[in-house]
Amino acid sequence: MKLVSLISGGIDSPVATYLMIQRGVEIVALHMDNRPFTDDKNLNKAMDLVRHLRDLTGSPIKTYVVPHGPNHIAFARNCQRHLHCLFCRRMMYRIAARVVEKEGADGILTGESLGQVASQTLQNIMVENQATKVPIIRPLISFDKVEIIDIARKIGTYEISTLPGLCCTIVPKKPSTAARAADILCEEQKIDIDALIEKSLEGMYVFSPEAL
Amino acid sequence: MYSVLKPCKTSAAFEAIPRERFSLDLDRCEEILKNVCTIVTNAGILLIVNDQCEVSIHKDGRLILKTDSQELATDQAGRIAGWLEGTPAIRKHRDPRG
Repeated sequence: MKLVSLISGGIDSPVATYLMIQRGVEIVALHMDNRPFTDDKNLNKAMDLVRHLRDLTGSPIKTYVVPHGPNHIAFARNCQRHLHCLFCRRMMYRIAARVVEKEGADGILTGESLGQVASQTLQNIMVENQATKVPIIRPLISFDKVEIIDIARKIGTYEISTLPGLCCTIVPKKPSTAARAADILCEEQKIDIDALIEKSLEGMYVFSPEAL
Repeated sequence: MYSVLKPCKTSAAFEAIPRERFSLDLDRCEEILKNVCTIVTNAGILLIVNDQCEVSIHKDGRLILKTDSQELATDQAGRIAGWLEGTPAIRKHRDPRG
């Protein structure tokens, strides 16, 4: 099996990726670059995490980076603020689905766990899933944060994930925890989603293994 | 204009909190600031500029200063305040406590 793993610079996604590599899954990494709403350190952390996982498991990990900042700007300028994290995740899944197609992969892998942050309620996850028909695998869905951190420490990713890095600055103060699909679809009609996806893919590049 | 400067929880930046309540018209801020620093983007709900360091300017006046130097962050917050103080970009709110 081959999965496209959404790797941020955080604690959860490298743990999810590690667990699936241990199950024999081939991984293609995809980092959504949130600059200028984060800083360079997040991209560097994500790449360090991929390198660490590659060295730890001996598994080659092809890594794509996609500029996600312009997508944030489009949603922030045109759509309801409290739904921003849902628009963001739905765009990530749509773009990841295109990478799945390009790579002949079988699905998308994420580090989400239920209820951990506002975007990860069951209702929001259901709405996010509807952005794509590609299967989304969430090996950490039932884990709590302590369990995830325990694994991260054991595999040596925790120290990298907790290095300084700016959190996303465009997250709304009061994000929706119970979005309705109808509201999301209505808001997304204000945006040319297909054009945004194509633009994102035009800016996509493979992060060279030599640079790792 | 800014009295509190505290490190973000990730220590990758500093946050400047306004001393009094006001809101910013970010389009007007952009008009003013484009003459003195580089506009990175105006996302409508926040404006990002680059001067001595990159700064995210929020509508409620908060600044996120992307540097690990407190000295530079303090100086940068002062520069932004100096450029915006007294301009129509700032809408001051009355204190409800009188």
